[in-house]
Amino acid sequence: MTSEPEPEPDPDAEPLLTATDLSVGYGGEPVCAPVSLAMLPGTAVGLVGPNGAGKSTVLQTMVGLLPALAGTVTFAGQPVDERSAEFRRAVAGVLDDDAFFPSLTGAEHLLLTARAHGVADAEQVVADELATFGLTERAGALPSALSSGQRRRLALAGALVRPARLLVLDEPERRLDTAMRRALADRLAQLVAAGATVLFASHDPAFLGTLADAVLVVAEDECRLVEPADAVADLREG
Amino acid sequence: MSVLARTTEEWDGAAVRRFTRRATAARADTRWWTRLGDLTSGLTSAAIAVAVCGGLVSGLREQIAARPPVSSAVLPGGLTATAVAVAVASGSVALFARLGPVSATPGVAAWWLPLPAGRRGLLRGELRRGLLLAVAAAVVVALPVVLAWTRTLGGVLTGLLAGGLLAAGAVGALVVRQAGSGTRWVPAVAGGVGAVALVGPPLLGCLAAAAGARVAWPAAPPLSLPGAGALLGVLLAAAVTAVVVADHRLEELSAGALRASGETVQYATASVLSLDTREIGRALRSPVRRPRRALHWRWVRRAEHAVVAGDLAVLARSPWRWGQLAVGAALPVLTARTQGLGELPALVAGAVVLGWWTAATAVGEPSRRASSAPGADRSLPLAAAVVVRCRAVVPVAVLAVVLGVSALLVGQGTGSPPAWLALGVAAAPAWAGAAVRAGYRPDLDWSGPVVSSPMGALPTGVGATLVRGPDVGVLGTVPVGLALLLGAVPSWLVGASLAWSLVLAAVAVGTAGQRD
Repeated sequence: MTSEPEPEPDPDAEPLLTATDLSVGYGGEPVCAPVSLAMLPGTAVGLVGPNGAGKSTVLQTMVGLLPALAGTVTFAGQPVDERSAEFRRAVAGVLDDDAFFPSLTGAEHLLLTARAHGVADAEQVVADELATFGLTERAGALPSALSSGQRRRLALAGALVRPARLLVLDEPERRLDTAMRRALADRLAQLVAAGATVLFASHDPAFLGTLADAVLVVAEDECRLVEPADAVADLREG
Repeated sequence: MSVLARTTEEWDGAAVRRFTRRATAARADTRWWTRLGDLTSGLTSAAIAVAVCGGLVSGLREQIAARPPVSSAVLPGGLTATAVAVAVASGSVALFARLGPVSATPGVAAWWLPLPAGRRGLLRGELRRGLLLAVAAAVVVALPVVLAWTRTLGGVLTGLLAGGLLAAGAVGALVVRQAGSGTRWVPAVAGGVGAVALVGPPLLGCLAAAAGARVAWPAAPPLSLPGAGALLGVLLAAAVTAVVVADHRLEELSAGALRASGETVQYATASVLSLDTREIGRALRSPVRRPRRALHWRWVRRAEHAVVAGDLAVLARSPWRWGQLAVGAALPVLTARTQGLGELPALVAGAVVLGWWTAATAVGEPSRRASSAPGADRSLPLAAAVVVRCRAVVPVAVLAVVLGVSALLVGQGTGSPPAWLALGVAAAPAWAGAAVRAGYRPDLDWSGPVVSSPMGALPTGVGATLVRGPDVGVLGTVPVGLALLLGAVPSWLVGASLAWSLVLAAVAVGTAGQRD
């Protein structure tokens, strides 16, 4: 795996991911206020809001897994189409964290992803990723033999074992211990510094404080961008 | 910005499938003697099934031949076989549309679909499986219809091949729709066609019987070899075209829709494997739409009224259930009006049980929901036993109408119509009790010992749990069976039937939810 130092995001750069008056929901019913957002390459935006506010629905709509009720989402200037190979090459996500092939080991899941993405020296990259997530000892175990937290780490490793310009993560801190949360936040911050873009939902103030450049508060009446420090303070106050 | 070097070639769909298959196979027991054992076991099971079915059919044919024809059995067997085949085919189309027909398991959705590999290559195996399943089902369904038309080897083979090709074409067309504007309307239309196919012929038969006429069924037109070849050629071309187009359109299937279908498939499969018929219904039900008009329930004054009002709303907003009630009423009539079947009281009684259980299932939905999610019931200021009793009100009222009409038409030409009507109405409490008893059936008890079965481990007592509900209905239908055997309804039978039915209903409702 290679990482390279990146300069600060260029405010004049073209946004990588843009949502304009995006209305999300099910059966024609919006679950939150419309979202407008423009993410530059090399930035991280966190979504916060209470349970049921619509954070996961916003994330799934932003990556084309759910149809938008209204408004538009573009990726690199093009309307989001998750069926396009180019989009899938560029976007990694962990939205459905507990879904695995029951007959493939953890290492095989990662190897499949790395090889299918054409990653050079895939076996070494997989071994490194397993070590990073503390799964080396359990590499040969089937998902059913892994604990809930180990399955979560495997899913996150799957998003990081392949190249991506955009990472979309739904509550990545969920079911991780404190040390692993901190390590993951630091790892993602490094990726952002290297030019990757991260869109994530979180309830963890420390995670937000480490990673987010901006925070989108998702709510029924209004979705608005706030400074990470304000969002962290709000979350700490409960 | 990529932080990983991508220097080797990406995998295509075939390579991804191959890797997954090999990794799976590495852990599977693929020794030749294991495979031979599996094959032998499968073939033996199939042979036993064929022998049992063949024996039953053969015995039935002898019984039919030995009995004098009944004047009210006016529908030719070919028409009934065709109607049932159309209904089964429609049901299959609805099922395939509900399940995709192409779907992605959660594992596939999470680990395959985000890959840059073409979706066509990834999903081709799914399409192939769907085609094989549909063709196999079509051949089985087409067999009785084809045999009703012709007994020549060439004719039977042509018919079965035509059925298989039609099924392949239908699956291809469904996949094309799935990739386009979706198959949301298909289950409703297919369900409607199936209901009409089962309700229309019995109505026609009753009208013909009332007029003293018999329904004609055309003899099979002679099909020459070139004619059969041309027919099969056209069907083959249509099927191949549909499948090729479907294969190309796999690329356009969205991950969200594939994932949703896959979850439905997984839920339904788990329900089948755990033999939980209630869960199968929940897994396959159509998504509930927002009602156009809000109900105000101004007549609701007491908590008991609220239970009844809720149950009525569930039924009123479920068009599928209305169709199910109509089909449930029609099935016994179809059997009674069909030549060769209507002559056998035991067969008609069997159809009565099947049809009336279908109708009872339609009105058991509120009980099933309350059993799986009892929170709403617990919020009412009523004892649990009172809530369960209230749950029987709507089923009794609805089934009195449905079973009454059904019995009236079954008994056409065999005695007093009001007596048959009353006999059907009298059976309604028992079947309503059956619906409630089945709805509140306790879950299978997995805490005790389990027994090995071809479907995996099952808890002991699974049979007793699964027949909770239908058992009461069958007992409640005994007076109807007696009337069918006698060929008339004695005057004492209606009163006795009502008393018997009320006792059964009281027992069923009183013991609903209790473990045996």
